[in-house]
Amino acid sequence: MRPERRSSRWPRLGAAAFLAAWAACWDSGTTPLPTESGTGPQPALVASVAIPANYGIHDTFVRNGLAFVCAWNAGVMIFDVGNGIQGGSPASPQLIATYVTAGGQTHNAWWFWNPGTGEKKYLFVGEEGPGTLGSSSSGDIHVLDVSDLRAPSEVAFFHLDGAGTHNFWMDESAQVLYAAYYNQGVVALDVSGSLTGDLSSRLIDSIRPGGAGSTYTWGVQLYNGSLYALDMLSGFWQLGVGGPNLSVLSGGNNVPERYSSDLAVANGFAYTGTWGSASRKTGVVGNVVKIWRLDTSGAPELRDSIVTPGIGTVSDVKVSPDGKLLMFSAELGTRAGFWFYSLQDPANPTFVATYPVPDGVHTAKFGTIGGRLYAFGAKDPSLPALLILDVTDIDR
Amino acid sequence: MIRVSAVALIGAWAPLASLPAQLTARLSGQGILIYTHADPVPGGGSLGEARLVQPILMLDLGALRQRLLFHVTADFEGWTIPNGELAPGDWGEGFVDRRHPHTYLHELILSTPDVLHRWDLPVQLSLSAGKGFVPFGSDDPMSRPVERFPVNHHWCQVLERAVGMAALQAGRVTVEAALFNGDEPERPSQAPNLSRFGDSWAGRVTLRPLIGLEWQTSAATVHSPESRGGAGTDTHLLSTSLRVERRAGRTHLYGFVEWGRASEANGTFVFHTVLAEAAVAAGRHRPYYRVERTERPEDARTLDPFRTVRPHLDNSILGIDRWSIHTAGYGVRFGAAADRLELQPFVEISYGRIAQVGAGLFDPTAVYGRATFWTASVGLRVGWGMDGHRMGRYGVPMEPMNMPGMSLSDRAP
Repeated sequence: MRPERRSSRWPRLGAAAFLAAWAACWDSGTTPLPTESGTGPQPALVASVAIPANYGIHDTFVRNGLAFVCAWNAGVMIFDVGNGIQGGSPASPQLIATYVTAGGQTHNAWWFWNPGTGEKKYLFVGEEGPGTLGSSSSGDIHVLDVSDLRAPSEVAFFHLDGAGTHNFWMDESAQVLYAAYYNQGVVALDVSGSLTGDLSSRLIDSIRPGGAGSTYTWGVQLYNGSLYALDMLSGFWQLGVGGPNLSVLSGGNNVPERYSSDLAVANGFAYTGTWGSASRKTGVVGNVVKIWRLDTSGAPELRDSIVTPGIGTVSDVKVSPDGKLLMFSAELGTRAGFWFYSLQDPANPTFVATYPVPDGVHTAKFGTIGGRLYAFGAKDPSLPALLILDVTDIDR
Repeated sequence: MIRVSAVALIGAWAPLASLPAQLTARLSGQGILIYTHADPVPGGGSLGEARLVQPILMLDLGALRQRLLFHVTADFEGWTIPNGELAPGDWGEGFVDRRHPHTYLHELILSTPDVLHRWDLPVQLSLSAGKGFVPFGSDDPMSRPVERFPVNHHWCQVLERAVGMAALQAGRVTVEAALFNGDEPERPSQAPNLSRFGDSWAGRVTLRPLIGLEWQTSAATVHSPESRGGAGTDTHLLSTSLRVERRAGRTHLYGFVEWGRASEANGTFVFHTVLAEAAVAAGRHRPYYRVERTERPEDARTLDPFRTVRPHLDNSILGIDRWSIHTAGYGVRFGAAADRLELQPFVEISYGRIAQVGAGLFDPTAVYGRATFWTASVGLRVGWGMDGHRMGRYGVPMEPMNMPGMSLSDRAP
């Protein structure tokens, strides 16, 4: 047996070596990358409105000087951003009302203007419940009566077993709501007349363009008589809406290397984003906007891509009402924020400006108010906010 | 920071000043200097790095003839591993495939261990309050033989919460119940959200039918653990485990098995875990082994493939995957007497498989390049005065089992 004296020396020598090695392997963290600055006209931030961090703001619908902010469990927040009902402006948004839909998780909205009746009564609200992306989803469509903007009330809902809703597009003249429905694909809903209670009988049709197991549809847009759908798994589709049923016309299985996100269609072209919080191929992130030319039948053909290093996800894609400006929002990475491209040549968008938001922007929408063009962005947590940029000067 | 920490660690070596009568004190600490190589890591390829992990100091004070106990643990991982410890499979608090650093103030608990001492009753009631472990699940991995944290850490322990708890001990049975805040820390310097105290609960029953044999079963409901503001869904946890410690001659044997289940968002997501581990202390030699099969959620990742998006934006996940891991290690103890500085160099090797459970966007092969992995670690564990401490057990004194991870001596009941 070793003498006690010798064994007690080893611990102290070991401890000294231990401390020295500790200092040597100190983890000093990471160094932030420098950010770029633009030249020429730039977007100007005119307002930043804090949104309750519960989880925060997801999407915004802007129409007639009103911004319907979808603020998750805080509900739908209706702001006057130039309508006049509450003395608000883009630089000074004024909250008119807040309404928490059943179940919360308020994600997106569409304020329905019925051209047949002249009514502006209904606000459709999407609830994004828990799900496994690419496979399952949950969440209903809630219908609010906003006849009195100061006192909205929920009057109807639509529920689909086994699936949940995501982004909307509405054929207002036909009074049909098209909803991207994740694993259920696309749902068409008759929203004519008076809406009360359970709207399950209003279902016109639904379609899974990629087929069962390969469909997880993010967004839809009606354009030139076709419904375009962007599916996270199966890519960009042209759907037919002419008959009583939805049908696949063309496209699909055309974005194999990434998961897709949001879309915008204008000027005979389509622009689709990619999503990058999970890798479809090792090392490939969602930092691309794909540019598609639509042929005479409306079928998409991939022409080019905008690749943006330093971002991980293109979370929203929009084209300005005049068709001149492409905007996309970006999350993840050092160059997250708003990105703007000129569509002077729709096939070859050219970079105009970026407005960095380090926490990321979840969605971005255009709104024209008082003759000026604004971008409404949903700043991600930890300090979520509605950001309003004046982008009139870059819309040339 | 290095100097402050080094002084603090050296300070733990020094004897305590003489104490007034009826006041007891005990200072202890540990740290592990480790180099780990993992292949593959997220994004493909391999990675090796050296870190100081689990650097803690603990102070236990007793006053009023042990009728008032104060326990505090400082954890310096926020300084030594701000980007986490490389450990494929580990997850939580915004980290993935790295074990997150714990908060600087790991525990701060005041206990009255025998509220009913005035009455000669066959039961012992204790009350405890402060920040620390919730009475749920099994012993903290830091207190166990394997250096690598198990994948099930967030299914089988709930810690670093503001907790108020009561424990009732009658014979060989202990019943514990607690209220606490559901939010988990977002960074090492963050305190529990006290406005949420009481939104979550836990209860545990512990039975010790024989000396050295302990069985626990427990349940907890944790509200919105991953959203500090409370926007998230509830997690319902169940755990049961059996722990055995025996001494055969100069050989100290340790065995442990546990099962756990976690259900989130009203059962939308369900996760299971099974784990078994064993260790032998024979003289200076410390071989050990663990096998684990645990399902974990896959959250959206940032451009740093070791981090997940925090705060969350919604309640969805990318999928569920099952990690089946074998870990074997061997250590040699230096340092003879208990309650003194002791060293244990060790090697540890893990091999595991990753499998998808159900569908979803998460594809292990796309993230890692393949669905198997291995890690190899060499390290030096340094401990001082850690003998017998049950990390996360407050109030009613538990059977003084040796904790093979902390206690480097070969004493056993």
